[in-house]
Amino acid sequence: MVRYILRRLGQSALTVFLTVSAVFVLIRLAPGDPAASFAGPMATTEDLARVREQFGLDQPLPTQYLVFVRDMLTGNLGTSYSFQAPAFDVVIARLPYTTTLATSAILVTAFAAIPLGVWMARRADTRREAGVNVAGIAAQSMPEFWSGVMLLTVFAVLFPVLPASGFATWSGIVLPTITVALLQVALISRLVRREMGANLAAPYLVAARSRGVSERALTWRYAIPNSAIPVLTALGTRFAAMLNGVVVVEVVFAWPGVGSLVVRALETRDYPLIQATVLVTAGLAVLVQLLIDLAYPLLDPRVRIGKAVRR
Amino acid sequence: MTGATRPAANQPAAHTPGGRAARPSRVTAADLARSGAVRRGRAAAAKLWAGAVCTLLVVVPVALARVLPIPGPDEQHLDARRLPPLVDGHLFGTDQLGRDLLARVLNGGQVSLTIGLLAVVVSGIIGILAGAAAGYFGGWVDSVLSRLLEAQMSLPLLMMLLLVVALFGPSVPVITFVIAIAQWPEIARLTRSLVIVEREKPYVDAARVLGLGRVSVLVRHVLPNIVQRATLVVLLLLAQAVLLESALSYLGAGPERPFATWGRIISDGQDYVTTSWWLVTLPGLFIVLLVVGVNLIGDGLRDRSRRPKTPRTEAAA
Amino acid sequence: MSQHGPPGLSRRALLRLGGAAGAAAALGPLGACAGPTGAQSAGAMTLALNRSLVSLDNKLNQFDAAVTVQRAVRQALTRIGPDLTPEPVLADRFELTAPTEWTVRLRKGVHYSDGSPVLVRDVATALSMYKQVSGSFLASFFPEWPQVEEVDDRVFLLHTERPLPVLDYLMANILITPGDANEAAELPSGIGSGPYVVTAANRGTGTYTLERNDRYWGARRPAVPTVDVRFLPEESSRVVSLRGGEVDVIDTISPDSAEQLTGLPDIAMDSVPGTRINQLFYNFRKPDDHPLSDVRVREALTFAIDGRTLVDDVLVGSVTQADGVVSGALTGAVATGAYVHDPRKARGLLAAAGIGPGDLTLKLIWETGEFAGDTTVMEAVLQMLKDAGVGVTLQQFEPGGDIPQWRQGRGGDWDVIGNGFASPTGLALATVQGMFGGTAEKEKTRDTYQGYVVPEVTDILDRAYDETDPKARQELAAQAQHAVWRTWPCLWAFVPNSVLARRRRVRGLALEASNSYDLAATRLEG
Repeated sequence: MVRYILRRLGQSALTVFLTVSAVFVLIRLAPGDPAASFAGPMATTEDLARVREQFGLDQPLPTQYLVFVRDMLTGNLGTSYSFQAPAFDVVIARLPYTTTLATSAILVTAFAAIPLGVWMARRADTRREAGVNVAGIAAQSMPEFWSGVMLLTVFAVLFPVLPASGFATWSGIVLPTITVALLQVALISRLVRREMGANLAAPYLVAARSRGVSERALTWRYAIPNSAIPVLTALGTRFAAMLNGVVVVEVVFAWPGVGSLVVRALETRDYPLIQATVLVTAGLAVLVQLLIDLAYPLLDPRVRIGKAVRR
Repeated sequence: MTGATRPAANQPAAHTPGGRAARPSRVTAADLARSGAVRRGRAAAAKLWAGAVCTLLVVVPVALARVLPIPGPDEQHLDARRLPPLVDGHLFGTDQLGRDLLARVLNGGQVSLTIGLLAVVVSGIIGILAGAAAGYFGGWVDSVLSRLLEAQMSLPLLMMLLLVVALFGPSVPVITFVIAIAQWPEIARLTRSLVIVEREKPYVDAARVLGLGRVSVLVRHVLPNIVQRATLVVLLLLAQAVLLESALSYLGAGPERPFATWGRIISDGQDYVTTSWWLVTLPGLFIVLLVVGVNLIGDGLRDRSRRPKTPRTEAAA
Repeated sequence: MSQHGPPGLSRRALLRLGGAAGAAAALGPLGACAGPTGAQSAGAMTLALNRSLVSLDNKLNQFDAAVTVQRAVRQALTRIGPDLTPEPVLADRFELTAPTEWTVRLRKGVHYSDGSPVLVRDVATALSMYKQVSGSFLASFFPEWPQVEEVDDRVFLLHTERPLPVLDYLMANILITPGDANEAAELPSGIGSGPYVVTAANRGTGTYTLERNDRYWGARRPAVPTVDVRFLPEESSRVVSLRGGEVDVIDTISPDSAEQLTGLPDIAMDSVPGTRINQLFYNFRKPDDHPLSDVRVREALTFAIDGRTLVDDVLVGSVTQADGVVSGALTGAVATGAYVHDPRKARGLLAAAGIGPGDLTLKLIWETGEFAGDTTVMEAVLQMLKDAGVGVTLQQFEPGGDIPQWRQGRGGDWDVIGNGFASPTGLALATVQGMFGGTAEKEKTRDTYQGYVVPEVTDILDRAYDETDPKARQELAAQAQHAVWRTWPCLWAFVPNSVLARRRRVRGLALEASNSYDLAATRLEG
């Protein structure tokens, strides 16, 4: 068990390291001069040279990389050009907003999608279920930036009942959460329906039914627990992805999270900030994925860590 | 289409769907019509039809954009800025520069759809080849591919796409490539699992016994058997590609101006949400119509293939 | 759900209850304060800025709206007043007492928000810290850094090597902080002598909370007890937030947004001519035999531009066509001429210079967002030049892209650039120096403004800077501007207005030409 966790941690660390290295190489190949965007339009050639020297941009690429790795190992991710602050601190300052939005969105998704999916499975192939199904397809076909702007137009412009941007009060979280959850509910509820449908038709359930187990018990004691793993895995994966920044929704609602930070860091070619963001978010996502894997045996006694999962 | 699965209505003693000889049964035609399988079949057909209609409603006008009697997409009329829909012959109204919104949406659709199609073709080719190789050869090929897929799963995808667009510049080939890269894992994984099932079948052994090399078995026998199922998924990814492209455009990483893409039209229009609702709403509805259409088709096809396997002769229809 | 659970309450009902309770727990706190406009409270005013305020310091960056907030916390010896002339703040005397010597006296009783007095030593420290920081935006305006000589605990002298007659303007940008706490970097926190103190700051999100400084030295205490500063990068977000009442003031808005906000009962707009000038500037790095190196061609092309259409239709009256080489709002700016629309004359003059229709094709480049309505202006200019028989290609750059290299002539060949030039000093002479003071020396490192090197102009500018008599200096400054105009550096130029929108409950807000305002003078009503 411990060895398994250690090995997984090692793998995760490697993944994150490779990701960050890839980003390091990518952004240095990119056109556009970070020194110029840092120094501003008024900068003289002398200023640019000084800025390059200050941030080590005048060094050859391998040297820059070694310095970068050394700094990263010592926990120094450099100073963000545009924020004039340690890049890591900037990301950490933004992170709570993204985790708050991700948590709220995943909770809403879970509480809406699971009952909906169960209902759809039990009412499979009725007219009402077909209607909900089509509504789900529609919800899953809307680009998030469009549904976001539409919600914003209705609830912040036409009927100004909710804030349109940022996070000044808790009510500011409502519209972004709904925008994210709309798509996720559509996806997850259809997954729940599929899993439940498969379980409700499985031979063991037929056998249980023939023993006289009530329909209610069939659903709650047999089908739902057996559908739980894929559904919880999906929820976990979605959550991990959201921690990488709900980029589009954050931009639509001017949400001060990591996603909108990324867009800005790319625009200003803020190398340290891009690296720090990738490091923090990739690390977090990998960690959440690890936790999901470790949680399997708790949910399903058939899974033994280190045995069934690996091999 | 539905007729094929339904027994003739005026025959009280129902046929089984296969049309075998009638025998006495308590199951009436109405019962059959209400049964899950038939309902599913009918719903699947309805979905296919509705999906096709939605898709064509978008694709046909987009394809004919240059033929239709509408103004050019870049024709400016500064005295006719932000006209609401249906005013002065502008079906969708005009934008902030007095350009006809319908023309922009249709011409933008050409760019968006072209990128989507190209991306899907590229990712389809990469995904099917890589997935088939991994599934058929196994061993280190499989390990390398699986690690690659895992690595990509753990990456912050949109962030990486934005980064690559920033790197190589927002040109149409770059964006196509970027979307293809984002999508190939799904196809590769599916192809891999299909091939793993397929390679255990007797005909593969037979071909091997006949002296065919491993590569030619894969290319000439295995691939043709799975390519149809894989292509279906590839087509469904078209909707995702269009969504991804519009999201990139929205975030400012779309093809360079003067290309009007759906995402850019919406992001430009967002500056006017308080006064000109149509600038965002109508292009968005266009995207939704297309994606709903493609998704409905996909759903319908999946439902149909999931139907219980009764011995039916028309099943292949 | 009012009845009490019977003994045999089913699992399903239990789970349902649990689900409902969970949902309520998750959303409860949101519902509790989901009032229409939760952010607004009677005593707090919220400002939404278009750029992130990374600190309340200006050593590295300074954009217009930041000045408003920075000045509320930290102050300088002087400030640029509404009429763009220096006014005393921490100093009550700031005089040129010899050609290279200024005498400054600190105001009696000025102190920081912790009660400690403002010392002469703090001024000396501030100057040395601004000097040490690299990549500073302000450094380009200081030909040299003055030396501080303390006379007594309130009076000190500022010495320069050469005469620096505009030092009182320049010192308005040097913010004074307790010397021990000052560093050669942007200060993320710390105290100042201004009417507000910072009580909460988040650099990452650009959110700040300012509270009234109860120990403010000034006679007039600010009326608004709390000011919240937020960062909303998208213009549409700011417009919608202002309409919804989440924020009270947004600044630097485009003509299109202004159009969306006019006529709303709760919202008022303020507009003043700005200090910035936006130009379609010719490339002065062309070879001698290129048509653009011929001043007659540069002049001829200007007649092709219909400035009135651009101002009225494209930029919907939010700008003024330039009548000089810098914004007319600047101190010492003079009108030097006008851009006239006469396509026939354009053709005639071009023909006289040996250029027939179709002989010349120009490449226009600009960066997205360089000025409001940039794309539209460029597309309209394209059409106008075409009508005069001149071909045009457009190339647009995304922010953060390659345009700095192009601007320096290293990226590729171009003919006209859409470019804006800010004037933080409010002084025409300094702005002319910044744009047109290029020398052959500077051009070696490509540090001139689009390659503009005209010795006649630099001679006049040098004489103006050496002149200590204000009147004679102004005479020379005017001469320099006329000399620049005669070289026809721009295809067209305009001065954008500074536009600000606010909820009507915000009163006493006086927008200045510098696109900032005195936060302490504002008050909330209703």
